[in-house]
Amino acid sequence: MPQFFLNKRLIFLLVSIIILVALIGFSLRDRERLTWPEKFVKDTTGWVTSLVSSPTHYVAGFFENLEDLQITYNENKELKKRLDKLASLEAQVHLLDEENKELRDILDKKESLRDFDPIQASVVARNPDRWHEMIIINKGEINGIKENMPVITSKGLVGKVKSISQFTSTVQLLSTMDPKYRISAIVQADKEVYGLVEGYDEESELLLIKTIPYDAKIKKGQNVITSGLGGIFPEGLVIGKVVEVVPDQYGLNQTAYVKPGANFYDLENVMVINRKMVQPDLSEMVDDEEEEL
Amino acid sequence: MIRFLPFAIFILLFILESLFVELFPVRFLTDGHILVPRFLLAGILLLTIYGTKKQGIWYGLLFGLTFDIVYTEVIGIYLFMFPLTAYFVSKLMKILQTNIIISTLVVLLGIAVLEVLVYEMNYLIHITGMPFLQFVNLRLLPTLIINFIFLIIFVYPLKKQFEKISEQIA
Repeated sequence: MPQFFLNKRLIFLLVSIIILVALIGFSLRDRERLTWPEKFVKDTTGWVTSLVSSPTHYVAGFFENLEDLQITYNENKELKKRLDKLASLEAQVHLLDEENKELRDILDKKESLRDFDPIQASVVARNPDRWHEMIIINKGEINGIKENMPVITSKGLVGKVKSISQFTSTVQLLSTMDPKYRISAIVQADKEVYGLVEGYDEESELLLIKTIPYDAKIKKGQNVITSGLGGIFPEGLVIGKVVEVVPDQYGLNQTAYVKPGANFYDLENVMVINRKMVQPDLSEMVDDEEEEL
Repeated sequence: MIRFLPFAIFILLFILESLFVELFPVRFLTDGHILVPRFLLAGILLLTIYGTKKQGIWYGLLFGLTFDIVYTEVIGIYLFMFPLTAYFVSKLMKILQTNIIISTLVVLLGIAVLEVLVYEMNYLIHITGMPFLQFVNLRLLPTLIINFIFLIIFVYPLKKQFEKISEQIA
């Protein structure tokens, strides 16, 4: 037994395992903010990375443009076809917009779950170990970004802000496996169906929407948008299109497989969304008695 | 000055990894497979082999911590794993002879060990729910292939640099 304790290397290993577990425990608990050394490291590396990444993106963009040129002819044909429909659609949208505003004025309802201010940002870095799907963007606290703000591209929702530092912030993508990561969504069927975006299937690259009532009728190709009910995300951000619907394990609910509208790989420019409607304070929603549990 | 050359090389590799996942045309080549660049670890392991063990472990600690803070936000996993793999490789190199083919294979083995251990840890703290076989097919094998290609290209220049450094210091 004394010999066991004399083995320096073993003691060292045990101590470092204890430190490891403590550190992981520290970073996994629900912490609202990063500590200042972490912020400092993030800002520094973010700055150094952006020095390299912006010129590389520029060069890569050039090659992408070349690629685009090759398919221009076919694309143009397709676009012309769609353009004819666009004019009538635009007129219709305008009309509806006006009507909506008028009706709102009559009701004296100024704020909507839909209103938001976008903040433009570019991607500086991406997590190379693909367990935690995260990207780092070049806007931070001083640009008015806060934790949990949703992040979109022109094609749809990509994720939400996980943590912020002074000049950069980290965005957790929708394709992450984090079980705590849920978004309230609406499937635009004949009657709106509510569900939660929960998880991502890595093999088929589809999002899972669970807890859809068993009798809801959902078809392939229907749009999925955010519902605005989670308190953080505004209403009406595009998530994707339904690909498949299957009953869940016990047949009580349905699970929809959704093809995300945004591409999680070619991210370069994103928008962080600041919802205008006041966000409910969490402490107001929780009773004191429950907190003690 | 030359003392800090590995530091500069590792910073470059650190950025290169992130650029690689950003710009590599994943969709066309890999239907569902996940390629993880482990260039930084490859660099650190090569420093352990051609430089000194001590250097390898200290750089492993430093860059493991940075990697954790910047990319994963779970502090501890890479901070622990990078030095551990470096230590493991240095022990292994005592038995084997140091030629360029063997060191390439040993570095690949180190990367495989790291991938499996990190997978086990993430499985333990519920960051992933991937079954082991799926992990091997979807992640481990493609990762080893891409890092092998990286090593074929970069093992010789890195070896040259690190040997020069250890000569200068000694």
